[in-house]
Amino acid sequence: MFRTCDITGFKVDLNSEKLIRLNAVMAVVSLLLAIIAAILLIFTRYQPVHLLDAEWYYRLTTFHGLNALIFWIVFFEIAGLYFGSTVVLNQKFCSPVLGWLSLILMVGGFLLVDVMVMIGQADVMMTSYVPLKAHPLYYLGIILFAVGALLGVSLFFANVVNAKRDKNVGDTLPLFTYGLVAAAIIAVITLATGAIIYIPTFLWSLGLIDSVDPAVYKLVWWGLGHSSQQINVSAMVSIWYLTTFLALGGTSINERVSRTAFFLYILFICLASAHHLLTDPATSSAWKVWNTSYAMYLAVLASMIHAFAVPSSIESAQRRWGYNKGLFEWLAKAPWSNPAFTSCVLACIGFGFIGGTTGVIFGMEQTNIIVHNTLAIPGHFKGTVVIGTTLTFMGITYYLIPLIFRRKIVAFKLAQIQPWLFFFGIAILSVSMIALGQLGVPRRHWDSTFSGGPFTHTFNPSVDFFWTLMMLGGSLAFIAALIWVLQVVVSVFFGPKVNGPEDMQLPISPLAPAAKEHKGYEAPGTLILTILFLITFAVLFFINWKWLAATWWVK
Amino acid sequence: MSLLSPNEGWFHKRVAKDERMWIIIAFVLCIFLFVWMVMWHAFGKQNPSNTTYKTSPAEFGKLHDAYVKKHMVGMDNGIPVVKPEPGSDVILMAQMWRWSPALILKKDEWYNLHISSKDLVHGFSLQPSNMNFQIYPSYDYVLKFKPTVAGEAKILCNEYCGIGHHTMIGKIVVIESDADLAQYGYDKLSAAPAAVPATPEDISGWSEEQLAKAGESVYNLKGCSACHKTDGTSLIGPPFNKLYGSKVKITEEGKSKEVTVDDNYIATSINEPQKQIVVGYEKIPMAQLELSANEIKQVTAFIKSLK
Repeated sequence: MFRTCDITGFKVDLNSEKLIRLNAVMAVVSLLLAIIAAILLIFTRYQPVHLLDAEWYYRLTTFHGLNALIFWIVFFEIAGLYFGSTVVLNQKFCSPVLGWLSLILMVGGFLLVDVMVMIGQADVMMTSYVPLKAHPLYYLGIILFAVGALLGVSLFFANVVNAKRDKNVGDTLPLFTYGLVAAAIIAVITLATGAIIYIPTFLWSLGLIDSVDPAVYKLVWWGLGHSSQQINVSAMVSIWYLTTFLALGGTSINERVSRTAFFLYILFICLASAHHLLTDPATSSAWKVWNTSYAMYLAVLASMIHAFAVPSSIESAQRRWGYNKGLFEWLAKAPWSNPAFTSCVLACIGFGFIGGTTGVIFGMEQTNIIVHNTLAIPGHFKGTVVIGTTLTFMGITYYLIPLIFRRKIVAFKLAQIQPWLFFFGIAILSVSMIALGQLGVPRRHWDSTFSGGPFTHTFNPSVDFFWTLMMLGGSLAFIAALIWVLQVVVSVFFGPKVNGPEDMQLPISPLAPAAKEHKGYEAPGTLILTILFLITFAVLFFINWKWLAATWWVK
Repeated sequence: MSLLSPNEGWFHKRVAKDERMWIIIAFVLCIFLFVWMVMWHAFGKQNPSNTTYKTSPAEFGKLHDAYVKKHMVGMDNGIPVVKPEPGSDVILMAQMWRWSPALILKKDEWYNLHISSKDLVHGFSLQPSNMNFQIYPSYDYVLKFKPTVAGEAKILCNEYCGIGHHTMIGKIVVIESDADLAQYGYDKLSAAPAAVPATPEDISGWSEEQLAKAGESVYNLKGCSACHKTDGTSLIGPPFNKLYGSKVKITEEGKSKEVTVDDNYIATSINEPQKQIVVGYEKIPMAQLELSANEIKQVTAFIKSLK
């Protein structure tokens, strides 16, 4: 059963549409749970309030990690994969029954995990490093969720193959779907690694296996934990290209380059699980250097290529629309009233300048010594997963509400400022967490006054400033995320129906006209911006190595 | 056209000058970063160690007990203090929730720290220098340290290890000469206690006094001292002085009742720490410490001796 979209002209399979909707709803529910936990955690670590007791602090840290980093993102990605493999290819969903099965498994796993955590049977943090042990049903919940997700990814592949068979797509996939294929391949590697480690751990919690080696556990677990974030990177970059297309009618100025970058992700990005083992015993320096650098930084190269290709696709389209004056008219005259576009640009900036720079620096073998397990690490991934992935997903939702849910966005003016609020909130939160971490403050730690300990430690007095900043940034981000959740829920359930193109609040741009002349330089403004990024990176790089050189000698 | 298949000939389109320039810059940066990391091994002074030995929590625990017995120069807040010789092997044990022993090190001398865990995964976080390493059970991580700054350093735990995680904090004092010890209050440490003879299997013939003396050493070595004080101050657990024979309010299986502290009660508290919890100390439940029947008998005698 198809309906033909009166806005885009796509043939939309109604089964697929229903599955996309339900997965997206589950994603929003997970995000809501995650941010409620987040605000309580912030006001616990902010010592003047110190809200929760130790037990609930650790319980909600576990809860927040799972809902934010796993459930919100994976549910949304499954919705995205279905969208990219059916709607945009005019393709029928291959097997709605299996689609439902996947959803039921994932929701079952989600419920089992969240309930076990909340009743205090799994105070083990998201990472659940053995020999810390949770209730067997907790591990079972994770396994069910992962199997459901793996099934969803398989259905994505089946849809793409069917689209080729049915001649709905030519020899070359659209760039958006191509990027999603890369994400899906990484997802298969990731979820399979998850099975390799969670199944023995589940058996161990049942008492059927004597022990699980803690170092092997951590090595394999991060094959899931880190690589799953690389699915996000791939999916997020695909959405950046999609948003450029929807908002401006543009695409990568050289698709071969962009596609090669996605291919480099598939080949090298999963080596990054080594980032978590740099200050551990058991692996050698040679192993650490090779893996942590994704085999000589070839996955970083891929990200740097996108760092040019995404803004240059915006610049190039804008110049072809006539915004050709000087270096930056294209940026000043960009469609800033389109919240999807704004989110995409802000996500790109935050991901590069905060998440990307710190990711590369903290992920080097020796500099990891000064940040490992400090607050700088969650600070870093607030810059990648929250400013990058979450803001991108929030942004593209502004297109999904009218196109997939067929509703108008309620209080659209609010949607136009929401990305800015969220961006600044998380940026402040993230930068202050990084600063605190570099002053030695540990992550996942209930009381930085060490009450009850045999000794105490007083951090550099400047931590007080950054704690306050972190609390303010976190509160701002919480409000912005709450606005988004409420807006999505109210729009989807109570918003006015979309009856045709005249009800679209976000424009869908026609294709940008072809360029009149080629001077060889297609995006000079972008080149300046990327050089600026390079300078920022160089400064942070030398500050961190300078700090490292000031510590005790160790070998 | 990210929603449409690209135009014919997309694969052979020339890469624009600016994009090509950026890719070359990015590639050079990648190679630079890789080479930098390798070169730091040759020229840098901070590199994670490559030496690890396989051990077991029980074996490492024994190693720790023997090391501390032999080298202890005193106690600091329930944590034994050791002053190792420069260049020597030092045993540092992570345990829920303490780092044992506390160390006195000389500035600009090398020490081989053997660090491992008695139970869960812990995080060694040396402050304020800010150096962080991961510590596992069953792996003896050998880190060669040379302190370059004199002063008091702390070891935090930065890997979640249970409800008392935030109380896990150890101490390293770095001195330039023995004269510095006074400023840390370490000049008045009691002289090293006489070596305790190994406990025989059969201690039935021991006097109360002998048992209490051996019990004190168990109290210090096995970690009781990290939470239970003997001067009446209550830290994480109830203080031990004037405890034996007193009546305490406990909660057992949700019901509260009053019991008298006797041999039986102490043995139960050690063997099944979650069974009977003293009212007022529910926040941080006691960790499971594996003590032998003899050791329990000795600790009990030690508690009895504290009036």
